[in-house]
Amino acid sequence: MSRRNTELLLLVLVGVAATIAYVSVYAARFHDIRRDSIVTGAVFAVLFLVIHLCERRYLAQADPYLVPLAALLSSIGLTEIYRISPALALKQGEWLLIGVALFVATVLVVRDVRRLDTYRYLFGVAGLLLLALTIVAGTSVNGARLWIRVAGFSIQPSEFAKIAIVIFLAGYLNQNKEMLSVPTARLLGVPVPPLKYFGPLLVMWVLSLLMLVFTKDFGMSLLFMATFIAMLYMATTRVVYVVAGALLFAIGAGGAYTWVPHVHERFAIWIDPWKTAATSGYQLLQSLFAMADGGVVGPGFGRGYLLYANHVPTVPELQTDFIFSAVANELGLVGGIGLILLYLLFAWRGFHIALHASDGFAKLLATGLATVFGLQSFIIIGGVTRLIPLTGITLPFVSYGGSSLTANLVLAALLLMVSHRSQVVEAGSTTERLRLAELS
Amino acid sequence: MDRAISRVFLVGAVLMVALMVNLAWIQVFHARSLRDASQNHRLIAQQLRVKRGLILGFDGSTIAGDAKRSGFYYRTYPQGPVAPQVVGYDSVRYGQTGIESSLNGELSGAKSSTQGLVDRLLGRHRPGANVELTIVPAVQKVAQSALGAQLGAIVALDPTTGAIIAAASAPSYNPATIDVSFASLAKNPDAPLLSRGTQGLYPPGSSFKVVTATAALNLGKVTPSTPFNDSGVYDIYGGKVTNYHGEVYGAHDFTKALTDSINTTFAKVGTLVGQAALIDQMVHYGFYQTPPLELPPGMVYPSGRYAGSKLLPTGASMNPLDVAWAAVGQESVLATPLQMALVAAGVADAGQVMKPYLVQRVTSSGGRVLQTAAPSLWTTATTPATAQTLNVMMQQVVNAGTGTAAALQGIQVAGKTGTAQRGASNVAWFIAFAPANDPKVAVAVTIENTLFTGGDVAAPLAAQVIKAALAQPALP
Repeated sequence: MSRRNTELLLLVLVGVAATIAYVSVYAARFHDIRRDSIVTGAVFAVLFLVIHLCERRYLAQADPYLVPLAALLSSIGLTEIYRISPALALKQGEWLLIGVALFVATVLVVRDVRRLDTYRYLFGVAGLLLLALTIVAGTSVNGARLWIRVAGFSIQPSEFAKIAIVIFLAGYLNQNKEMLSVPTARLLGVPVPPLKYFGPLLVMWVLSLLMLVFTKDFGMSLLFMATFIAMLYMATTRVVYVVAGALLFAIGAGGAYTWVPHVHERFAIWIDPWKTAATSGYQLLQSLFAMADGGVVGPGFGRGYLLYANHVPTVPELQTDFIFSAVANELGLVGGIGLILLYLLFAWRGFHIALHASDGFAKLLATGLATVFGLQSFIIIGGVTRLIPLTGITLPFVSYGGSSLTANLVLAALLLMVSHRSQVVEAGSTTERLRLAELS
Repeated sequence: MDRAISRVFLVGAVLMVALMVNLAWIQVFHARSLRDASQNHRLIAQQLRVKRGLILGFDGSTIAGDAKRSGFYYRTYPQGPVAPQVVGYDSVRYGQTGIESSLNGELSGAKSSTQGLVDRLLGRHRPGANVELTIVPAVQKVAQSALGAQLGAIVALDPTTGAIIAAASAPSYNPATIDVSFASLAKNPDAPLLSRGTQGLYPPGSSFKVVTATAALNLGKVTPSTPFNDSGVYDIYGGKVTNYHGEVYGAHDFTKALTDSINTTFAKVGTLVGQAALIDQMVHYGFYQTPPLELPPGMVYPSGRYAGSKLLPTGASMNPLDVAWAAVGQESVLATPLQMALVAAGVADAGQVMKPYLVQRVTSSGGRVLQTAAPSLWTTATTPATAQTLNVMMQQVVNAGTGTAAALQGIQVAGKTGTAQRGASNVAWFIAFAPANDPKVAVAVTIENTLFTGGDVAAPLAAQVIKAALAQPALP
């Protein structure tokens, strides 16, 4: 079966699963199965069909699993959001429409991922500006400054900044990886690469610390720093960067713990949420309680106890940061592990694409995107399950939030473009090569 | 570079597996303790969405009902508060007490036996089961209003079954407004939330003489006609026992000692009986054991000798003066009104103390009977013969002794007064049963902080409750 037919088959399966999930919620809410529930499933299917058709036309050889995975995750998200608040689900549906448009636009505008390499510094600056924008114009929610308001929309620039910065890092590291791999100087007996090449990387460190101090967004700061270290390691294969990076981050985090009360509080909650069960630890405990109720299989979509009678969620921020707790409550351990597996699968496809990428930039781009995606999932799931301190970031494709959904669809588009290109190059399709040559 | 990429993925995979293991810990291995955590109110909040079973009186009338407001059920009390200290309150903020707590599984429908198999399979949640109490609201109301503004308790039960007919405690409270009034109720020095009938420990005073008399009659140390002489003082072990108000009775028999409640004689009788036999008699009436009422742990206290708030062991040593004072219901003897009602019930029911109970029946919302009370013997206090002797002596108390205020037209009441000193005031008692020849109700009345005697303030209340109980078409 061709890659696209495999994808179509999988998408159909996802569509069926999504419809069943949606109907399940509908039946639980209204004790009735109505047409709207099937219509909503159909609209969802059509949107992913648009992505599929776009791939058939422009990315015929791209990986067939990424889009079904994204579709499955989005459908789980939409179903759970609908279950929490139908009004929010409608909005999320609109964001999905915008996300699909952005996906298609990315494919049409970029065409060849190598072109992004040309504009790497532009992306670097754009990423920084987006973050600076948050610092300057951001509004605070729950003690962290994450959003800016543009024309009535709340936008979370860091979600887009993470992609821009991965593009910049992929370009920069690809160009300088040899220099960065060869130690020419020594600092306190440790061989280090020349400052000229190392400098921009220190800038990254300072940047993530500034982010932490000014936006108090510990999650994004951790995500940026960890992605950066992972990419640096993969580009240079030198463990010393991992050690140095971890040390730098530890120093930064230690400083933040001491001087930023918000970070200090988050840490204290992680250590002992019971001590502040009625105040700052309330949210995390409610999340744990909700998951504990889920048991092994959970009561099913729409049947968990997630809302008070006045429709207020039992866990604050259930539809965004804590959506994983909602899924684990209703689908139990089986659903929770399933969801984690989906993220692992998505990341695996990303790394798989990276391993088969045709050139250094594409390889680093794919690894960077896969890393940022997988890490983000880990950080938020680990946070709501108290494996690591809780930091408010979204669960890709599942959390309510337009910026996250659209940015992750763009991320998927970029991965697919890398995949398509490597396949075409491997297959040695002359016509495609000519077309690509023409473009570059 | 590819190897580095694979390694990073491997690290990522390990992290994801860590998430799964941690999730299994939360959802399976640690789930129970998370669910049971006191900070976890999910269960109570969920229960509020299910119609809670009714709590009914023995007459079938609703004591605690349900009403629905914005998706949540809340309790209503159509008759006003009826025995709220025993029935309990049901609050999301303050939890549950009384029957609401001890039968929460049935009332909330959480106990699987309250749900049909089909409902369980479909995940449908039926309303909780209804709980029918032995409390007779009409008698309960008489008891509560008889107490009025005084501090005290009245416990009435059926001596032949052990069913609690009334359990009044004053001051009382309104469970309907518990969410707003709890803080002030909890701080109130008169403790309106306290179930005085089962939790109030008082010196039983002369009402305890029934226990001493039982032991003495059983041992053959005395008969009703055994002669005694009272000089107003009984000297023993370097101390002395005196009569109430310093009275001197002269020559009299044992029956008169009970009817006029002569302390010196009972101190002598107590000395004759001795510590071991006296304590043993107490145990046979149910002292030193927690009466097995269907109330949450801590809501029923055992009676016996106390040191501070601690129940002393039965073998705790006493000197002869202690024994003499204990025989008249003073020293360190403390009893709940429930226990003293059980003493009266034991005499009434030919020496047999039936197991006290509050729950008559539990029925599912569909009408299926899930549980029915089965009266059973709790403890044997004495022989039928001794019980009959005591019965006659106690009738004399009401006919010609300290308890004449408990006499009723056409109904022979048998009883015993008690006036124990506690601090600067008295605890007034009256324990009784009626009709004496065919007892249908046994009652204990306790009034705290009074300047009067049991015969003055407690006996008339016992009469009111007995009259109300015997007027009922049916008793449990």
